[in-house]
Amino acid sequence: MKSNYASKWILQRVTALILIPLTFWFIYQCISFQSMSYGEVIYFFQSYINSFLFLIMMTVMMIHAKLGCETIVQDYVTSASLIKTIKIIINFITLMSLLLSLFAIVWIGIL
Amino acid sequence: MIDNRPLSPHLSIHKKILTAVFSIFHRITGIALSIGSVLIAIWIFLVALGPQYFLFFEIIAASIVFKIILFFWTLGIFYHMFNGVRYLFWSYGLGMGLKTVYNSGYLILLLTVLSTLFVWMLQI
Repeated sequence: MKSNYASKWILQRVTALILIPLTFWFIYQCISFQSMSYGEVIYFFQSYINSFLFLIMMTVMMIHAKLGCETIVQDYVTSASLIKTIKIIINFITLMSLLLSLFAIVWIGIL
Repeated sequence: MIDNRPLSPHLSIHKKILTAVFSIFHRITGIALSIGSVLIAIWIFLVALGPQYFLFFEIIAASIVFKIILFFWTLGIFYHMFNGVRYLFWSYGLGMGLKTVYNSGYLILLLTVLSTLFVWMLQI
């Protein structure tokens, strides 16, 4: 298994930095979502800026989460085969989440 | 990769000093937030599917259990973010003196609690 751990280490930190402003933005939006009707949420995501920021956040967040979970697995799981299996599951969940988000945003945009 | 790899942090052996506890919680919140990010993807998918599917989310969101989870989620996000910033400084070798490490740790706890309270006060 060939992995460049130095670049993963840097990527984990770069994604963390990008996530800081996006997290504040999303928490702020979540507060307003609470009082929004379904139509207003749709209207929110029909804005290119909002959907763009959301997709960037989801992508960077999923990469950050994937790298973090993989590190934890590598630290606490001894069996190499089990690590491999868990990594496949993590990759699958990451990819599915990204596809769901992308599909949803494109679909809302078309509506 | 060999099969009997050495495990990195031995949780049960070391004394639970503040820095270690902070690190463990960074990982626990990291896993919880990862699950949360998948839930956000499912949420936006429900939004896209239509109002009848979104209603399903709204019913869950109205429950007190959901609110409690959301509260801990806020707490987890702020903790992970502030502590993460601390680790970013450490990556540059900054703020690693023993006294600074403890003081920045207390600062993170304070910021986390204050930010969480601030967000929830905006909602009520």
